[in-house]
Amino acid sequence: MSAKVASAPSMRDALYEPPGPKTRKKMIVGTAVTLLAVVALAAWVVYRFWVTGQLSAKYWQLFTWRTTWIYLARGLAGTFEVALVSAAIAIVLGLALMLGRTGRIAWLRVLCAAVTNFFRGVPSLLFIYFFFFTMPSVGVSMPPFWMMVLPISFAASGVLAEVFRAGMNAVPKGQTEAGLSIGLSPWKVKTKIVMPQAIRFVIPSLISQLVVVVKDTALAYVVSYPDLMQNAQVLRTNYDAMVSTFLVVGLIYIVINYLINKVSVYVSRRTGAKIIR
Amino acid sequence: MGVTDLLAAYGPNYLSALLTTWRLTIASFALVMVLSIVVTVMRVCPFKPLRLLGDLYVQVFRNVPGAVLILIVVYALPYLKIVLDYEPSVVLVTVLLGASFGSENFMTGINTIGVGQIEAARSIGLSFGQILRKIVIPQALRSTVLPMTNLLIAVMLTTALGSQVPMSTPELTGIVSYINTRESAGVATFFISACGYIATALVIGFAGNKLDQKVRIAR
Repeated sequence: MSAKVASAPSMRDALYEPPGPKTRKKMIVGTAVTLLAVVALAAWVVYRFWVTGQLSAKYWQLFTWRTTWIYLARGLAGTFEVALVSAAIAIVLGLALMLGRTGRIAWLRVLCAAVTNFFRGVPSLLFIYFFFFTMPSVGVSMPPFWMMVLPISFAASGVLAEVFRAGMNAVPKGQTEAGLSIGLSPWKVKTKIVMPQAIRFVIPSLISQLVVVVKDTALAYVVSYPDLMQNAQVLRTNYDAMVSTFLVVGLIYIVINYLINKVSVYVSRRTGAKIIR
Repeated sequence: MGVTDLLAAYGPNYLSALLTTWRLTIASFALVMVLSIVVTVMRVCPFKPLRLLGDLYVQVFRNVPGAVLILIVVYALPYLKIVLDYEPSVVLVTVLLGASFGSENFMTGINTIGVGQIEAARSIGLSFGQILRKIVIPQALRSTVLPMTNLLIAVMLTTALGSQVPMSTPELTGIVSYINTRESAGVATFFISACGYIATALVIGFAGNKLDQKVRIAR
């Protein structure tokens, strides 16, 4: 038992003593009952689909056509374009905000802290409205792509600035002191000693933040940018298949984000760096 | 239009929008806590089917975009003869999304306690119920104050999805679209709403930090 706990110290299992014969019997009954409950829940969902006619082939056959998937894939490419460009801008902007906030110029520190908190405290949808409604009303109009990329990267950069700051704080203070004492300038210490380690430390967190960015891109229909969601909207109007289309698209997003999370956890395990949220 | 003109013309609208955002946030967060606890109990209970269902729940709602979920709830569920009003729909979506993160926070809180403490408690003869009541739950709650504060802010930001459905009183994000479809009012419309969010987030953050300092367990 002790060897097992040492190898897999999961709290889930530690909570329970090794079961005796009576408990084991109860466990079997409990497992059977809960399994039945879960199956009943699933059956109820399927039943709802069935009685309302949503299982009918006309709603689902479009997903057997190659053209549907090509169209969705084109949308997905749009999603990735927005997500990757946003992520790149957010990383640069987040890094700049963090450097300003941890720097030695007082007014820049205050400004960067304020901007970081502003970006973190406002919903990305409101930022999208800012570029969609209010920028054109003051005479600045831009293509839908940038109307998505800018708000998403602003919202993400606030979070990333905090992630970077946590990474910088994770580097032991002694290293900064050692660097300064051998005569390196504070800027050199930051860029040559602290930042390279901090960035390596936050890589898994950056990957997991990509999930947030991908989720935000699903709002692209607001500005009519052709991403996965917008193309799905077109499909569901064309084939009058609301339920099936949204479920399939939801599933695609879930799988993509699940995989991104998996990668982030994998990198985090390999490098031993914690994921900061 | 400047901020003052805008507040003179639409002040009451902004006020009701702010109150709507607060109402949605409070209602959602209360339910998020309840559902998070239910899901977390499912995930640590000894029955495999419930554990799996809990894990599946978290994976689904942590990864699905809010925009997709709100459209499913508002426009797809009626096809399954499940019709909700707009405001309950927004709360439902916010709760479903929030509870997946809430449950993750609780799981992290439980995991930081350490297997050794449970073994120690058992060796001095505490029962399972006592271990939960006296060791696990108090510590898990105390160490999740800060993550839950952040979740409360995230829940507030998620209620912005309310702008995607025609609610009877728009919330802080919806009001921007409401005013801008009537007149071209410029940057100020955005700025006032943003201030509403930021001010609320600052208050929540401040209160959360104070509470955390009081109850945090120094390790």
